[in-house]
Amino acid sequence: MSSSPTLTSRLKGRSELGVALLLGAAGVLVLVDAIALVTPYSQSDPVGPKTLPYIVSGLLLVCAVLLAINVLRGGQGEAEGGEDVDLSHPADWKTILPLVGAFVANILLIDWAGWVISGTVLFWGSAWALGSRHYVRDGLISVALAVLTFYGFYLGLGIPLPAGLLEGIL
Amino acid sequence: MDVLSSLMDGFATALTPMNLLYAVIGVILGSAVGVLPGLGPAMTIALLLPVTYVLEPTSAFIMFAGIYYGGMYGGSTTSILLNTPGESSSVVTAIEGNKMAKAGRAAQALATAAIGSFVAGTIGTALLAVFAPIVVEFAVSLGSPSYFAIMVLALVAVTAVLGSSRLRGFASLGLGLAIGLVGMDSVTGQRRLTFGQPLLADGLDIVVVAVAIFAVGEALWVAAHMRRTPLHVIPVGRPWMGKQDWKRSWKPWLRGTAFGFPFGALPAGGAEIPTFLSYVTEKRLSKHPEEFGKGAIEGVAGPEAANNAAAAGTMTPLLALGLPTNATAAVMLAAFVQFGIQPGPLLFANEGPLVWALIASLFIGNFLLLLINLPLAPMWAKILQLPRPYLYAGILFFATLGAYSVNLQAFDLVLLLVLGALGFMMRRFGLPVLPLILGVILGPRIEGQLRKSLQLSAGDPAGLLGEPIAIGIYVILALILMWPLLFKLFRRNRPAAAGPSSAAAAAPAAPSGSSAHADLPVLSDDSVRSDSAAHSRSSVKPDSSAHPDKKETP
Amino acid sequence: MTIVVGYVPTPEGEAALTQAIHEARKSNATLLVINSSKGDALVDNRYAQEPEIQSIEDRLATQGIEHVIKQPVRGHDAAAEVLDAAEENNAELIVIGLRRRTPVGKLIMGSVSQRILLEADCPVLAVKAG
Repeated sequence: MSSSPTLTSRLKGRSELGVALLLGAAGVLVLVDAIALVTPYSQSDPVGPKTLPYIVSGLLLVCAVLLAINVLRGGQGEAEGGEDVDLSHPADWKTILPLVGAFVANILLIDWAGWVISGTVLFWGSAWALGSRHYVRDGLISVALAVLTFYGFYLGLGIPLPAGLLEGIL
Repeated sequence: MDVLSSLMDGFATALTPMNLLYAVIGVILGSAVGVLPGLGPAMTIALLLPVTYVLEPTSAFIMFAGIYYGGMYGGSTTSILLNTPGESSSVVTAIEGNKMAKAGRAAQALATAAIGSFVAGTIGTALLAVFAPIVVEFAVSLGSPSYFAIMVLALVAVTAVLGSSRLRGFASLGLGLAIGLVGMDSVTGQRRLTFGQPLLADGLDIVVVAVAIFAVGEALWVAAHMRRTPLHVIPVGRPWMGKQDWKRSWKPWLRGTAFGFPFGALPAGGAEIPTFLSYVTEKRLSKHPEEFGKGAIEGVAGPEAANNAAAAGTMTPLLALGLPTNATAAVMLAAFVQFGIQPGPLLFANEGPLVWALIASLFIGNFLLLLINLPLAPMWAKILQLPRPYLYAGILFFATLGAYSVNLQAFDLVLLLVLGALGFMMRRFGLPVLPLILGVILGPRIEGQLRKSLQLSAGDPAGLLGEPIAIGIYVILALILMWPLLFKLFRRNRPAAAGPSSAAAAAPAAPSGSSAHADLPVLSDDSVRSDSAAHSRSSVKPDSSAHPDKKETP
Repeated sequence: MTIVVGYVPTPEGEAALTQAIHEARKSNATLLVINSSKGDALVDNRYAQEPEIQSIEDRLATQGIEHVIKQPVRGHDAAAEVLDAAEENNAELIVIGLRRRTPVGKLIMGSVSQRILLEADCPVLAVKAG
């Protein structure tokens, strides 16, 4: 079967080709990294550190090629369904991007501003991204969660989360 | 009998107030998680991994096992009351269960599911207690070559049998193995795939990978495709069954158990096949076949028993061989590793008390689930009112917290994001998640076994075939891989696209979607929720206001 | 001319719909049926599912009523949706269903009905079930 001529399916096919590309890139990466390894031949380890990487990269490259062929012929990976999943619409970027944004904000803030602040931003931002518009309520819940987990982890598990800016207060 | 005395000791440990508490927490958490959309036992255990590090391993595993079994109960509750099953193995329950609920028999459906699960779980766990030591005895006599072969078989079987596309399964496996490679080579001490980053030298922490793939990936995916139009949950009172219902249920329970346990114990068995088989069998054997499709109680009793027996079955290779056969077992394996416990045939020998306490706790957990879920079933439905923004924000919050607390490094959070994005991509393009996780967890161990085998044979590859078991397994392996080719040869008039004749691992390149759909409900690993399009209401209303205007001219 | 009815799949909602049909026929108006949900949670029993909507469709069609059925899921509460719809369409009447409540119930009363009653620009007809 040749690839379907309509624009949408071409584009669809192209996006899955991205997966094939990723697999290929990963395969090459593993291969290149493995080649750089030194194999001191020894009786006790005839396999060496290179063997598995070679096998893995081989697997990845073969899959990449086969997948590309499969996609170009019209094959399609089936997106995962679920209770709360409605596949009839394309991915909702308006939700995902702010969500990722909140996540990144947390990464940036956590060591510097402390968990209490970064965790609050994370939860509040995520809730907002997911559609909740009860700003005050969400804010309160976020702060409560961040503070509770801060103390909980320290007192209960002995894990000191960073206090950051609130160093003296907490 | 030695088994009995070990089991008794196990009970003694499991019944301490502390462990009993953890069991209760586990089953309640598991049931809640099974009911809630977007969550599952595998994800929950992954999220709890960093937290439980400070607990006694025994207590932690008791809780995890509770979550596992509890998840099954929760899943059946939603499949009956909601028509969108939470676990893919509950798909079949939904067929009859939901019909029963709509006909006002929700209480009976829930009761037969709960009691059936209890019966099956108890029998299944008993079988586990009996068979696991036998398997261990056999396995301990295995050498590295055979053990290597078994692991490869497990890996390939899961990849090649489950899921609608083998090709993608293998791709996923490749990625998992690659992730597992990152870090220091155990034998020569060289760094692999670290790209000069000192933070990667210790490899990617399995907890971070598990949390990223299961929790973050899933949360992002569901967030991207959140169902816009709410569903109805059927209100129900306390579950109970009449005499007729009991009479009609007990044999399906037993038959379901018989189906479920073996499949659960086999790598790549999974819980979907036995539930489906149970359904078909009950339909055929039923004295009321016309009721099937309209709410036949046998159609709930059998599959639910099969489901739970399969869960017990899954524990067998996990505990006896250190081989996980589904996502939840894989995460539990990761937990073992995290606690520094070496999984494998020696587990019983080295950590006997822990294992037997765990098995005892499975019995207890089952019992607790019955006790808790019968009266509380109506309440579980209320949980569904939880606003989803909080639910998914919570998942991301705790995922972040957990991943961070492993090493207190922000870098791990970057990994979380990157791998989470990978998880998202995999769900988008139909790459199954289970092979990846197995690749990450089993990859290093397989490599270790490979090296040991060849070390023993001083480099001679024939050493891999040194043991008869190993040869036998490779034969089975070859069969599994060759299966689609042989299949095509036998059915020459099948409209199969002329597959690349070289690789036996080629996907059945079916342009109209996978051909596996035609026969069975989608065979997928249980971290994947099966596409419930057949049962659920497809979302008709787009997310803004308009239902297409229907004007009627008078 | 439009009549807005706030519908829920309950006896009160049904009563409101029946009354609304009656009113629409009297004044030959278009009936705008609003059945909304906040969309917060996975389940919402007040959100009518497809079969119910279909039967409403059929009922309105056979009775020869000009109608529009809308099911907004925008994170707003039911009162806001009904009021919005009334305002947008310059409704001449809003019809809602009321539940008989105990004295205590009235205190903690459904704020939906209360809000609509108090904030609507047009007359509001509150109907009880049965």
